[in-house]
Amino acid sequence: MKASSLTIGRPVLKHFACQSCARLLRIHRRYATTASETPEIFDVVCVGGGPAGLSLLTALRASRATSSLKIALIESQDLFQTRTWKLPPDQYSNRVSSLTPSSIAFLEDIGAWRHIQSSRVQPYHEMQVWDGVSGSRISFDWPGTGSEPPQFPQQKTIAYMTENLNLTSALLARLEELGGLTIHDNTRVENINLGQETETLNLSSWPVVELADGRRLAARLLVGADGANSPVRAFAGIESRGWDYERHGLVATVQLEGEGWGGADEKVAYQRFLPTGPVALLPLPGNFSTLVWSTLPSHASLLKSLSTADFIAMVNAAFRLSPVDLAYMHTQSQGQAEELSWREQHTKFDVQRIPQRIVGAQEGTVASFPLRMRHADTYIGERIALVGDAAHTVHPLAGQGLNQGQGDIQSLAKTIEYAITHGQDIGAQLSLEPYASDRYATNNLLMGVVDKLHKLYGVQSGPVVALRSWGLQAVDAMGGLKGFLMRQAAGGG
Amino acid sequence: MAVTLKRSVLCLKHAQQIQQLPWTVPSLVTPRAFSILNRPPPNYDGHVPLTTIEKAALAAGSAVMSLLNPRRADLIAALGEATATPYFIYRLRDAMLSDPTGRRILRDRPRITSTTMSLERLRALPANTVGHEYAAWLDREGVSPDSRNTVKYIDEEECAYVMQRYRECHDFYHALTGLPVMVEGEIALKAFEFANTLLPMTGLSMFAVTRLKADERGRFWSTYLPWALENGLRAKEVINVYWEEELERDVGDLRSELGIEKPVDLRATRKMLRARRKAERAVASKLVLD
Repeated sequence: MKASSLTIGRPVLKHFACQSCARLLRIHRRYATTASETPEIFDVVCVGGGPAGLSLLTALRASRATSSLKIALIESQDLFQTRTWKLPPDQYSNRVSSLTPSSIAFLEDIGAWRHIQSSRVQPYHEMQVWDGVSGSRISFDWPGTGSEPPQFPQQKTIAYMTENLNLTSALLARLEELGGLTIHDNTRVENINLGQETETLNLSSWPVVELADGRRLAARLLVGADGANSPVRAFAGIESRGWDYERHGLVATVQLEGEGWGGADEKVAYQRFLPTGPVALLPLPGNFSTLVWSTLPSHASLLKSLSTADFIAMVNAAFRLSPVDLAYMHTQSQGQAEELSWREQHTKFDVQRIPQRIVGAQEGTVASFPLRMRHADTYIGERIALVGDAAHTVHPLAGQGLNQGQGDIQSLAKTIEYAITHGQDIGAQLSLEPYASDRYATNNLLMGVVDKLHKLYGVQSGPVVALRSWGLQAVDAMGGLKGFLMRQAAGGG
Repeated sequence: MAVTLKRSVLCLKHAQQIQQLPWTVPSLVTPRAFSILNRPPPNYDGHVPLTTIEKAALAAGSAVMSLLNPRRADLIAALGEATATPYFIYRLRDAMLSDPTGRRILRDRPRITSTTMSLERLRALPANTVGHEYAAWLDREGVSPDSRNTVKYIDEEECAYVMQRYRECHDFYHALTGLPVMVEGEIALKAFEFANTLLPMTGLSMFAVTRLKADERGRFWSTYLPWALENGLRAKEVINVYWEEELERDVGDLRSELGIEKPVDLRATRKMLRARRKAERAVASKLVLD
C-alpha cells in the first residue's frame, strides 16, 4: 500500500468545492520517498479519522482561538472515498447512529451539520420500549407543552438517525472548507515513541508518531481517536478495563411495508428487550429502517446464514413472537417464514405499537460485531488525550456511543481553547485535567446504567421479571420522572 | 432416598433451564377484565368466558365436590381448567413450543376419539406395542377414548387445546405406566403428572389420598409417590409425545426414551394381597373349625 499525504490550503480548496473537480485532489498528493531526519512538529496530531477524530479537528479549526494550531490527522482508510461517499436514495449504510439534539447542536456550532446530506437523516419523535418476556411497556414522546427540553424549545425530536458515513463525509467537507490541516490518510501508524533530545531541540517528552511511509510527526498533544484497540492508548500505557458481553450486535438495513404508523412526520423508534438481548428498529427516511439486534454469537451467525425470506421472518418474529418461539426458531436452519405465519395466528400483539411489517432486507447489509464494555483508566496522560471509542466502548442498547464521543470532543475542544487563551501548554497533563474530570464520571455513569440494563433484561424468568415490569410501568406512569429521563437522554452523551 | 432427592433436584434445575418457570409472566397481552353483565363472546367453540371470581368459585366448588366424590371426572376436569390459569397452562404450552414434536402437535391439533383411534386396529397390533397396550388397557379398565370432557373454561384458544390434549392423553399415561383407573392408581398417576406437567389440579388431587384405606395410603407414601416424583421429574415432558405416531412402537422402547420406569403393577399387587388375605382367612377359619 502506497502512503500519501496532502496538505489542504485555502487556495487549493477552491478547486475541490464541487464534486466533479474532486479528482484534482489526487494530483496534489505528494508521495513521500524518504523519511525525514527530524520529525515534523505539530501542535495536535490526531490518530483516527472517524466521527470523533474528525469532529475534534473541525471544532479546533472552526474556533478562532485554536485555528492557528498546526494540526495533523492520521487515518488508515482512504478519506477521499469517505469524502465522496454517495449512495442512491433507496440504499442505506448499515452503520447508523442516533445523534441526540445536543450532539446536533454541537455539529451545527462547528459548521459541519450544514454539509450533511439531510435527505438521508431521519429524526424520530417517539420511542416504544417493551419487555419481551412480560410485555410491559414504556413509551417516550415529548408531551404537549411545559415539558419540552429547555435548551431546545418547540422541538419534539428525540434523536436523529444518521449514517456514520454521512456524518464523516460532512465533517470532511467542513474540514476542506476550513483548510489548514495536514492529512495523512491511507496509511497506518507504524509505531509511537518518545522523541529525542538534540542540540537544538528537546523532544524527549513528546510523542513521535512514525507512519508506514517512514514519515515522523512529533505532537505537542497526541489525540487517540483510534477506536477500541487504540495504539495511542497502548503507547500511553493506559489500561482499558471491562468485559465482553458474549453478544453480537447484528445490523441490517431493512425495508418496511410503509412509512410507519405515524407517517413520514411522526417516526417511532422501537426496542424490545429479549432475554438474549435487545432488538431495536430505528427509522430511516421513507420505508427504510436500520436494525440493531444484540444477540448470542451463535444466533447472529445463524441469522446471517438464513435466506432473505427467513431472515425477514426472524426480524418480524423478534418484535412479535414469544421468547419461547424465538428460541425454537433459532434452532431451525430454514423454514422460519412458514413458522412465523403459523405462530402469528396464536400470538396476541398490539399491531399499532410494534413496527410495521418488514418486507425486505438490503443486500449486503447484514453484518455483526462483538459487543464489549470497556473503559480506559484515564482519558489523559502527558501530551495524550483519548476520545470516543479509544476511551470507552458501550453496549449499543441506549444508542449513546457516538453521542458520548461528541460529548468528549466538545469538552476537549473547550479545554484546549482554554489552555490556548490562558497561555498554557496544551499538551501538559495539567491543562488537560478539566477534560478528564468533566467527562470521566459522566461517561462512567452512563456506561454503568447501560450495563445494568443489559443485565437486568438478560433475566428470563422469576421475580426479577415481575419487578422490572412493575418498575417500567411505574416509570411510564410518572410523567415527571419520564420527562427528566428524556431530558437527560437528549442532552446527555 | 437421598440420592433420589438429589437427582430430583438436579432434574428440576435442569427443567428450569430449558423451560420457563411457572411464575414467568407469560401472556403478551393480558385479557381485559369484564363483569358478568358484559360477558364477551366465546374465543372458540364451547368456550365459556368466566370472570376471575367465577373461576375462583369454580375452583373451590369443584375441589370440594370432587374430593367428596373422586369419581366425578367432570368436576376434576373443571378443577383442572379453573386452576390452570393464569400460569400453569402457559408453562405447559411453552414446553410444547420448545420441542419439535410438541410444536407439530400444536400445529396439527390431533384429537383422540374412538373414531380417530380405531380400537380394532389397535387390538390387532403385536403385543408390547404402544397401541396394543393402550387398547388392552382400555379393555381391561372398561373405558373408552370418548369419555373425555371438552375444555370450556380456559380463555386462550391454543391453551384450551393443550388442556384438551393433556386430558385425552391421560389414558395413554395409564397405558404407559400400567396404573389402573381405581382411585389408588389414579392418585399415583396424578402425582406423576404433577411432577411432569406441574398442572395444579394434578397436585390438588393428592388430597384424595385422605380417602384411601390405611394400607393403600401406606403403599402410596412408600412406593408410588417416590416413584411418581422421581419419574415425573426425570422423564421428558410426556405432553410432547405424538401418541398417534407411536402406536406401533415397542412400549418398553418408548418408556426408556422418555425415561420412565414401570411401577410395580398395582392391580397385580392388590390381587396378590387379596389372595393372600383370603388364604390367611381360610387358614384361620380352618384353624377355628379344627
